[in-house]
Amino acid sequence: MSPIVATRPTPGTPRPYDFPPFERTRLANGLSVIAVHIPGRELISATLLLRNGAAGEPAEHAGATVMAARALSEGTERYDAIALTEATERLGASLHAEAGWDALSAGVDVPVSRLGAALELLAEMAGRPTFPESEVERLRDERLNDLLQARADPRRRVEEAFSATIFSAASPYHRPAGGRRETVHGLDPAALRAAYRRGFDPARMTLIVGGDLVGIDVPALSADLFGGWSAAAEAAPSDPPIADPALSERLVRVVHRPGAVQTEIRIGHIGMARRIPDFHAVSVMATILGGLFNSRLNMKLREEKGYTYGSGASFDLRRAPGPFAARAAVNTEVTVPAIVDMLGELTRMRDARVTDGELRGARDFLIGVFPLRFETPGPVVGALAGIVTHDLPDDELKRYRPSIEAVTVDDVQRAAVEHVLPDRAAIVLVGDADAFAAELEAAGVGRVIIEREGMAPTDDSSPPDAGAGPIEGAPESDRADVD
Amino acid sequence: MPQPVVRFTDERLPNGLRLIIAEDHAAPVAAVNIWYDVGSKHEEAGKTGFAHLFEHVMFQGSAHVKKAEHIALVQAAGGTMNGTTWLDRTNYYETMPSHQLELALWLEADRMGSLLDALSQENLDNQREVVKNEKRWSYDNRPYGSWNEKLFAHLYPPDHPYHHPTIGSMEDLDAASVEDVGGFFRTYYAPNNAVLSIVGDVDPPQARAWVERYFGGIAANPAIPPLGDLSLPAVLGEERRETVHDKVELPRIYWGFRAPAFGDERLDALDLAGHILAGGRGSRLHRRLVRDERIAQDVALFALGFVGGASIVAGWATVRPGVPVERVEAAFMEELERFADELVSDDELARAKALTEADELGALQRVEERADRLSMYAMLFDDPDLINRMLARYLSVTAERVREVAAQVFRPDNRVVLTYLPEPDPAATVSKPVDESETAASADTEVAA
Repeated sequence: MSPIVATRPTPGTPRPYDFPPFERTRLANGLSVIAVHIPGRELISATLLLRNGAAGEPAEHAGATVMAARALSEGTERYDAIALTEATERLGASLHAEAGWDALSAGVDVPVSRLGAALELLAEMAGRPTFPESEVERLRDERLNDLLQARADPRRRVEEAFSATIFSAASPYHRPAGGRRETVHGLDPAALRAAYRRGFDPARMTLIVGGDLVGIDVPALSADLFGGWSAAAEAAPSDPPIADPALSERLVRVVHRPGAVQTEIRIGHIGMARRIPDFHAVSVMATILGGLFNSRLNMKLREEKGYTYGSGASFDLRRAPGPFAARAAVNTEVTVPAIVDMLGELTRMRDARVTDGELRGARDFLIGVFPLRFETPGPVVGALAGIVTHDLPDDELKRYRPSIEAVTVDDVQRAAVEHVLPDRAAIVLVGDADAFAAELEAAGVGRVIIEREGMAPTDDSSPPDAGAGPIEGAPESDRADVD
Repeated sequence: MPQPVVRFTDERLPNGLRLIIAEDHAAPVAAVNIWYDVGSKHEEAGKTGFAHLFEHVMFQGSAHVKKAEHIALVQAAGGTMNGTTWLDRTNYYETMPSHQLELALWLEADRMGSLLDALSQENLDNQREVVKNEKRWSYDNRPYGSWNEKLFAHLYPPDHPYHHPTIGSMEDLDAASVEDVGGFFRTYYAPNNAVLSIVGDVDPPQARAWVERYFGGIAANPAIPPLGDLSLPAVLGEERRETVHDKVELPRIYWGFRAPAFGDERLDALDLAGHILAGGRGSRLHRRLVRDERIAQDVALFALGFVGGASIVAGWATVRPGVPVERVEAAFMEELERFADELVSDDELARAKALTEADELGALQRVEERADRLSMYAMLFDDPDLINRMLARYLSVTAERVREVAAQVFRPDNRVVLTYLPEPDPAATVSKPVDESETAASADTEVAA
């Protein structure tokens, strides 16, 4: 027997890979249909995309689009919620709908042998929803309860506090996409119907079907089921929203959580939109800073210091500039040193050029995992939905790997200097302020605001906004300190 | 509809390493998956959490791989990887572009063969802090985060190795020494205690040659200590209840039941029962508690399979504000008891089976999942072909079988009930019922220079 082999093997020859080719057709009513054949994948994924998301809804109805998506399966002209669910389950299918900032999607996953019947149910759900009063009332109560639950969850609290800190109150991104207590309380079937119908124009909708489509004529099938649709009267395109910053200087906001054994930390600011020319350089830069396991942030905070289970950083890419944040949850005692280290890595990303090894590692990772990401239909369909949502060219995914390959050390540094701005970052913490407040002030990382609150009432009979603490709906006086 | 068959080879190297290879060229991807027959059930008293801490140490380097370099090399090769620890096993896996398969095999072999060459006090101390932060993040600083530790502690007696949580206790983690790591490695991380599965775009003779080259020289451990008898009475024997005050806004009730061991066909029936009772919007508990009576925010019910002694069926319901906890508990239990009394309808069972079929089809599309299941069935049941037979087992479950198993499991003397309630509000004890103005007044905003 041989001993342990010391020599690291060299890679073989990569098998050629391209993002699966897709065919785009347009029905007579304007609906775009994309069919993507993925051989051997018999669980089909289909998504109908409406290009109006939560960002475009009126502020007084914040949360309507997300709830409208949930309500689609709560009743249609032919089925009540239970009948629709049961019909779907009999096919071994799952029917779902969800909305984000930029789009609403309704979809179904189903074994290929029952694709036609499943698309029929998708068309019924998306084409003839009735938004029944009683079910909408239940969804509204569930969202209000969910907002209560969010207050008890440090991760959700810190994400929501972070968005509310970096975006001005004029931006929809200031609030959660699902809305706050005061707006959710007023949502009714009319508001949901209006939110849904804003996006209901076949000329701006896309149906994407992916999987093993041998012998299936997707355009013909779609024409039968979706070809008779016409635009709703309320339909209107939606522009990318305002994404103004609330801050012009470093600020530290602490949400006090007495007795917390960890502090959730977010450090960042408004980032960038998806559709920008230096997307690929920023991707490589963010991968080195906080994307890989061996990213600068994780190596420092986890593998060197043991402060956290994991630290990373990312840009949330939307139609308008979304948040950029570095993240970690650290044991309470090391809160301030962890912040100092995170700021140090953000600064170093701008000041010190990455090494050739770092550049190669990040590029090779992004290029190499690309085929792994698209092993099954769901992510392929999701990536195509992203192309449509962000008005990207059809060859965007084909060009991805060569574009990443072309990124240089200079490109990475330019991206860091332009998009990582620690001097204007918000530092948002959810943790036990009593344990680190003095040390935090002494560290001089920025002006410190500490928010302490009583427990919110959990009684359903409370006035609608009684539960609005500094996170869900900061009193205006608090917000003035932040602006 | 027909389920694709996973064809594989199954053999052993002279040093005892079990090797399973399944070829599939649908995507240019190859999965490597190793199960070691060691989990938290092998831990001794005073050393809880050790199997998991050890799993972290496996990423700290070996004779020819530096600290954290394992992950760096896999990621730079365009791969993904992880390791996980559970009661019955520890697994490590890489999913690679197929031309990088050999690297993953070399990395796994290097640490199986030479981990202790790179072990240091400094790396152990570092990962001990990481794991303590994992515990804080996953359990201690999470709403209802203690539920599974509490359910396990109630459902398994103190001298049973499933009694303690895989994450362990802070005290035991603090006590773990470099010598403990060495002893654990020499005992359990031997080729004859592992199954290696390779699935995807691979050339089997070439993959086998690499495995022989890299793993063939690693010595077996002929003296792996056998685990004691884990058998348990089928039924807990009493109802156990605990009330927990936590930093939560809504009360939540957790249920736990002792159930047949993983691999027992009765557990298949319980998996289908989970679908029918709480598997989605059409399920019985969801319909009654969430949709019709509107007393719960959400419901869940599922089986956690373990091979030693007994599995667990666990469930929960989050109580809506203003609803008495007792009402939710009564409604939930009533549905479970009805389930044990009456046959499910043909339509309910058919729907649960159709969803199970689609779930299996979806899961087996991915090489990573196929490799994990082959390793699992080989290690736990010496039967990797179960990957091709599980669906037929689910499809053969009858309504009578579901009722019979439910009657054995959903009994008052076989359940644990944990009730999570919001911690009493210190502000409210001073100022009576909290109303809007008091909430605002207590939102004390300090501004420091």
